[in-house]
Amino acid sequence: MNFDHIDIIQSLIDGVLFGSIYALIGLGFTLIFGAMHKLNLAYAASGIAGAYAGLMSLTILGLPALMAFFIGPITAGIIGLLLYFACFRFMPRGNHLAPLMASIGALFFIDEVIIHETSGSPLSFPAVLPDAYFFLGEFGIRGDLLIVMGFSFILMAIVMLLLYRTKLGLGTRATSQQPVAALLCGIPTHRTNGTTFVLAGVLGGFAGCLLAASVGVLSPLLTLPLTIKGLIVTVIGGLGSIRGAIIAGFAVGAAEGLFLLVRGVNERDIYVFLLLFLFLVFRPNGLFGTTINRD
Amino acid sequence: MTYLLGIFQTIGVHTLLGLSAYLLLLTGQLSLAQVGFFAIGAYVSGILTVIFTWNIFPALAIGAFTAGFFAFLVGFPALRVKGLMLVVATISFSEIVRLFFFNLSWRVNVNGLEVGPDSTQGFREIRYFAANGWEQIHIVGLIWFMVIVVMLALWWLDQVRAGAVLRAVGTDELAAQSSGINLTMVKVAAMTGGGVIAGIGGGLFAHSTTYVDHHTFVILLATFAVSYPIIGGLRSVMGTLLAVIFIQGVIVEGLRFMGDYRNLIFGLLIILVMNLRPQGLLDGHLLEDLKKLLGRLTKGEKADA
Repeated sequence: MNFDHIDIIQSLIDGVLFGSIYALIGLGFTLIFGAMHKLNLAYAASGIAGAYAGLMSLTILGLPALMAFFIGPITAGIIGLLLYFACFRFMPRGNHLAPLMASIGALFFIDEVIIHETSGSPLSFPAVLPDAYFFLGEFGIRGDLLIVMGFSFILMAIVMLLLYRTKLGLGTRATSQQPVAALLCGIPTHRTNGTTFVLAGVLGGFAGCLLAASVGVLSPLLTLPLTIKGLIVTVIGGLGSIRGAIIAGFAVGAAEGLFLLVRGVNERDIYVFLLLFLFLVFRPNGLFGTTINRD
Repeated sequence: MTYLLGIFQTIGVHTLLGLSAYLLLLTGQLSLAQVGFFAIGAYVSGILTVIFTWNIFPALAIGAFTAGFFAFLVGFPALRVKGLMLVVATISFSEIVRLFFFNLSWRVNVNGLEVGPDSTQGFREIRYFAANGWEQIHIVGLIWFMVIVVMLALWWLDQVRAGAVLRAVGTDELAAQSSGINLTMVKVAAMTGGGVIAGIGGGLFAHSTTYVDHHTFVILLATFAVSYPIIGGLRSVMGTLLAVIFIQGVIVEGLRFMGDYRNLIFGLLIILVMNLRPQGLLDGHLLEDLKKLLGRLTKGEKADA
């Protein structure tokens, strides 16, 4: 097979545009991990559940299509808070296995509720701009993916502002560095962690809606791939590094686009996963991870 | 009777899967690669009996060995990094294995029949037991023989130094390292052992169901594998067996009349158990109480005599 540079650059463009969704999910995983040093495996599922709620608001309440992008993230934020209470709030601090296992249980539960309610069949999701497709020189660019990317940039900027410019962000960062010291300084750590879960949930809801809008369908089959890709982005970016998660999101998207071109859709994910192992062997702390090898 | 034997078969295979995760959980590491090793064991031993017409026992052994070898290979990069990274790495490994078998097509003519793994169509012709006149009761016997061997081996491990080393790493890595324990070596050894156990389980599973495809080896099965020892508790191998009987026997089989809602209950149950008993159902306190009770009972008998 022969590819000229146009094919390669084209698939890189598509990949990077799509990678903004991975960056959002990776950012959410990183926020939660940064706050509690625990992994919430039900996170991507809560984002997809939010997208379903958004879709339901369109089909059942007959709201305009854009409303899905409000209802979805809000629902996902609420689910995020529920997940915090169900899987993390009451667990012993030193125990890492129990909350992880509980979040796996929550992942199944959310997945099964969706399958039960939709009889397992995919639903079509309204596209943002179905006909927008324009050319930049020789390269075609999907307008809706461009909007997805712009939207993600705005969200990332908001998250950064929240974390580094507000009192809430100060509390979150303090709790993440030293939970006990933060508590002694009068920071309500439980409330701070809860807020982080809501914030991450809202991000996940946006990511879920954006994913559904750019793929065109919403299906429970999306949750596991999104979870795994989000985790890979988190690890490649460096656990707990926000900047790393964003950059790794775009990088993984680009790599995925390239593998899709070279090896086809059936084998694409194999190479994405092998990429993760390359990082584990040669750069176990990821792109921007701290050298402290914490859990 | 066939139905009952079928349940025993499932419980046996799942117990092997749970025990393979149990061994690594003793060192405090959660691995979702167990389903990958299970798949390797299933496909390798299946290919050996079907394409190369081997006997079942060497085929199972080679399947288990191959799974153990891959566990060793994955263990090195994955266990150098800690805890949560391992979860991500092992999920990816399991998916790599699944996608590899999803793409694997290796059809050959054996005795006039075209057999072998057929990528998306699955691997359909693993009929060693039927072709050699084994009855279901023999198959169940073989599976449970393996379960008992593995459980005895893991129980014995707790009686010798190796078990103490594993638990030391699981309880406090820093303290274990300070006592001169090579963390990576211990974890990779546990990973390899877990891989071998999962490989045996996979081989038995493939031959008892006669058909495997990539749908069997999804992450769901890996989460089942780790949920057994975590829900059962890590203090004793019996915890894993109890959890398998509880989940496969009571929840999956017993609640069949509830249809779809069964799966909903499974997720909720995990969350509930983890909140109420973060150390698992059969935790240290309960085990101590049981021992005391047992001691009192035997003492009572002696007094009567």
